[in-house]
Amino acid sequence: MSYTTFNQKTFDTLKQPMFFGETVNVARYDIQKHKIFENLIEKQLSFFWRPEEVDLANDRKDFNDLPDHEQHIFLSNLKYQTLLDSVQGRSPNVAFLPIVSLPELETWIETWSFSETIHSRSYTHIMRNVVPNPAEVFDDITRNDFITRRAVSVTKYYDELIEKCSFYTQLGEGTHTINGKVVDINLRDLKRTLYLTMVSVNVLEAIRFYVSFACSFAFAERAKMEGNAKIIKLIARDEALHLTGTQHILQIMAAGKDDPEMGEIAASCKEEVREIFLDAAEQEKEWAGYLFKDGSMIGLNQQILAQYVEYITDQRIVAIGLPPIFNAKSNPLPWINSWLNSDNVQVAPQEAEISSYLVGALDSAVDTDDFGDFDL
Amino acid sequence: MNQSSSNHTSSQEDFLLESSASSHEELQHEDFSLEADPFDDSLDNPLDAEPVQESLLLNTEDCEQPEASAQIDLEGMDKPLHAVSICHDSHPVQTVSFQHANTLLESLEAQDVPVHYQCREGYCGSCRTQLLEGEVHYTEEPMAWINDDEILPCCCIPKTAIRIKLS
Repeated sequence: MSYTTFNQKTFDTLKQPMFFGETVNVARYDIQKHKIFENLIEKQLSFFWRPEEVDLANDRKDFNDLPDHEQHIFLSNLKYQTLLDSVQGRSPNVAFLPIVSLPELETWIETWSFSETIHSRSYTHIMRNVVPNPAEVFDDITRNDFITRRAVSVTKYYDELIEKCSFYTQLGEGTHTINGKVVDINLRDLKRTLYLTMVSVNVLEAIRFYVSFACSFAFAERAKMEGNAKIIKLIARDEALHLTGTQHILQIMAAGKDDPEMGEIAASCKEEVREIFLDAAEQEKEWAGYLFKDGSMIGLNQQILAQYVEYITDQRIVAIGLPPIFNAKSNPLPWINSWLNSDNVQVAPQEAEISSYLVGALDSAVDTDDFGDFDL
Repeated sequence: MNQSSSNHTSSQEDFLLESSASSHEELQHEDFSLEADPFDDSLDNPLDAEPVQESLLLNTEDCEQPEASAQIDLEGMDKPLHAVSICHDSHPVQTVSFQHANTLLESLEAQDVPVHYQCREGYCGSCRTQLLEGEVHYTEEPMAWINDDEILPCCCIPKTAIRIKLS
């Protein structure tokens, strides 16, 4: 199979599996195999927002007033989120689009990835408003050991899938010698890699992000960095939808109706899936240790954050049909729910934008002529 | 009446209806005063203004109390009342009722039953709950993944007496 941007063959779209069937030709949505992806697309589009809509004027002052160890917590989280969204802004497209076979799923992947690029842009918006030199913060992402170490665990499944798929699309199944290296490419192994990649993406969106979310909201609980919290709320709303997307993909795969071989693979991978969740939870706890290395913040410390990681890990693994790992049944940060609910924390509407006002919350069309009568 | 967002035409009509007895001069005067004064400082002080859209604020009242419920009651019809029994590990621990709330989640919260939640719109799946007995009606289509025996309390109401399992 080689990738073609418009498959000339005539085939029944409804008979294709989600991945590794015929490549998509007509982007049509009149007939759909899995209607959920169309629903997700529509929901995601209705969530559209722009970082510039959120005013961060007070955050700079708040940030300057924070003690050093809290500035460290704030900036480290932003760096980590920047890394995660840099990955998510491109990887679903690069990894999944060449092998997807359903038009509605193809469009969902593109819509999903696009919304992550909004998140990336919002981090620059926050940095510009909060620190004098954003470049210092962004440059540190590739230099800081604690961040780069995490980049490996986030990207290794994606990279493996992308490499194997590129061999598969060029050379097909079989044993190939590439640059002196012998690689064995078979479809079942590829599907297995795809399933595990999807699990690691689910972990990324369902667990890894939430550690940073907790810290951002903990600042906002004390009425600090509230503009930032507003942006994180919009990001959390998107991420909740994305994780629903990956949960659906994983459940459809595991059910085996879409692709029976995928169902067998899912059944045989349970132990590895558990490992991926457990590893992620341990890594996030380690990260909490790095965040609070110079001191805790009011309302949040390493221990509580670690408990929250265990709680959220259990929630997410149960959602994809596996038994819980930690048996953490109660949420150690109950106040976080009202922050994660994007419409709940509502001050008077004239004082702050409402996230359900989709567009036009701010008139950003300021012409240079408007400053004509300004004297300096 | 909603002062801040009303446009000229509608407030003028209201005025005409309410003050048919006023003199012609008064009407003209009122016409002029309806032009917003761009230099009027009082408009700049948000503390003087009433909240523009109170309905956008989340209802913090007990939504199982009819007088506090925002729902319009149908005359001559009682809201269906259903028992909701809650189990932990298949042991019944508590029985509450559902009658007035907009969703099962709101009803449970109003009766101090803690349920995990996040989006409250059916797309995140945080409130996923096992339905052991009974039937529910979805007020909007749930988007999050739910198994056959599970419900999303944030977007459904009971159709019969129900038994649910909360973790």
